[in-house]
Amino acid sequence: MLNYALRRVILTIPILLGLSIIVFAFVRALPGGPAIALLGERGTEEQEEQIEEELGLDQPVYVQYGRYMSNVLSGDLGTSTRTRQPIVEELKLKFPATFELSIAAMFFAILIGVPLGFVAAKRYQGVLDNTSLVLSLIGISFPVFFLALLLKYIFSIKMGLLPTIGRLDITRSLEHPTNFYVLDSIIAGDTAALGDSLRHLVLPAVALGTIPLAIVARITRAAVLDVTSEDYVRTARAKGLDPRVIDRRHVLKNALLPVITIIGLQTGLLLTGAILTETVFAWPGVGSWMLEAIRFRDYAVLQGGILFFAVLIVFVNLLVDLSYAFLNPRIRYQ
Amino acid sequence: MSVAEAEAKELRLEQPSSLGRDALERFRHNKAALVGVAVILLLVLVAIFAPLIAPYGPRQQVGALDSSDPEGPSSEHLMGLDEQGRDEFSRVVYGARLSLLVGLVSVTFGLTFGLILGALAGYFGGWIDTAIMRVMDIMLSIPGLLLAIGLVTLLGRGLIQIMCAVGITTIPIFARLLRGAILAQRESDYVLAARSVGVPGGRLLMIHILPNALAPVIVQATLAMATAIIDVAGLSFLGLGPADPGFPEWGKMLADNASRLERAAHLVIFPGAAVVISVLGLNLIGDGLRESIDPKLRS
Repeated sequence: MLNYALRRVILTIPILLGLSIIVFAFVRALPGGPAIALLGERGTEEQEEQIEEELGLDQPVYVQYGRYMSNVLSGDLGTSTRTRQPIVEELKLKFPATFELSIAAMFFAILIGVPLGFVAAKRYQGVLDNTSLVLSLIGISFPVFFLALLLKYIFSIKMGLLPTIGRLDITRSLEHPTNFYVLDSIIAGDTAALGDSLRHLVLPAVALGTIPLAIVARITRAAVLDVTSEDYVRTARAKGLDPRVIDRRHVLKNALLPVITIIGLQTGLLLTGAILTETVFAWPGVGSWMLEAIRFRDYAVLQGGILFFAVLIVFVNLLVDLSYAFLNPRIRYQ
Repeated sequence: MSVAEAEAKELRLEQPSSLGRDALERFRHNKAALVGVAVILLLVLVAIFAPLIAPYGPRQQVGALDSSDPEGPSSEHLMGLDEQGRDEFSRVVYGARLSLLVGLVSVTFGLTFGLILGALAGYFGGWIDTAIMRVMDIMLSIPGLLLAIGLVTLLGRGLIQIMCAVGITTIPIFARLLRGAILAQRESDYVLAARSVGVPGGRLLMIHILPNALAPVIVQATLAMATAIIDVAGLSFLGLGPADPGFPEWGKMLADNASRLERAAHLVIFPGAAVVISVLGLNLIGDGLRESIDPKLRS
């Protein structure tokens, strides 16, 4: 296990290096050069020179890259050209919002997707199975922003059941020690705020979670079907074990392995989906932050955001692989 | 009937079933896949005959210019009017051209480069393989839409730039697929046989290995086209689409009216539904193809 883990960790190093080079090259490849790109069109020549000096643009590229890397590694992703705030500080404010939304979306996807896939496999080729297959195919075909707009139209605008935008009613004041609003309201012991933040979370989470839900349901179904025909399930049945115990201990436990992988692999989808979902619901997370950065040509933020997302995904994939090896001994010895 | 003729007939009856014919047979019996084919055929026809189907031009102003309260669907304007007083139905019809074009061009772009890189990596192996596949790994670690956002920022806004950006995001998928297939085929008996009779490397790759690796590539291309249409609509939705305001692109039409959802939901629902239907069609075909070429399902 340790051997495998070590090999897998070492494998991420070239990927991380490559990523940093791409992101480093990104701002340098922008039309007009990095100084103009970072300053925007309103910069004076003086500022331009100052930035060029700050960035050390007069030095060879590898020296520039080295400096950039040492900044990144010491937790400095640069400064937003629009707000003049350090990007890391903004990220600390915005990321909890995206994280909270993604967790809620994943909860929704797993809590419904896994049972749905399981039941569909149990009723293989029955009405429920076919219905859930069709529904999941439709779910996968929905662009997340369109689904978000539809949900908003039906449940907020037409029925008035749920709030349309934001994370909390603007009239409500709440301390934000963690910036996870659900957690913040629990810490403050404010049940009204808790209810409010949960109500704000429902529609964005459902919109963002629907595609993962469809995928999780499909994979669970396929995995359960696969496992059900295994010898050990037949043996368990032959020795007269309670079917419920077989389902729980033999089928579900083994079928969940690929499901865990798929859940991990959804992270990328969730994060890009979050960009679109956050736009629709004016959710103040990393997604809408980056979109704003594009609109205002705040390339420093865009650079930092892309690097952050990509590194996050590399680490989640690493975790998925390691947990998979931990759960499935066959992987370790290959 | 002569004896020879009778024998010939019998021979024809005993034609051996091939993987391709089996797959086609299975595909023909897959109702969902046929629905997908029908949807996409319809879409292609709509795209080709758009000027005949659409009562108005995509940029033609036919009603009142009313951005605050656009006219809803009526018998005269099936999908209502948009904020500029243009016939929404005509715009959705013309939009089919763009979506299909965008899907086709970006996937062809990604497919071409992906296959070349995958073939190089799989065929030569060694450091070429390592170098190419590490770059592909890095590209895969950036989510498609995010990579496309970065690329559009670099390349500039515009239809061609978007198609390139989305196409580039599909390169690693095809490269990986083909490389895997080549590695699997390289050790097979028929490749060994071809090599032992002196078939040169390039010919071996093009004539023997590639056709046998093509089925999964076609499946992936269909599914990638569905994703490409969604991604392009998403980029347009984020305001990274073509700058031209009259452009009848579904994602852009939807984005332009997202803020009018309360009063003009039809301007969001119709283009959105058009995206869903075309993506669903492609997904049905892709799924059907995948099932039909799966040798495990071969009876």
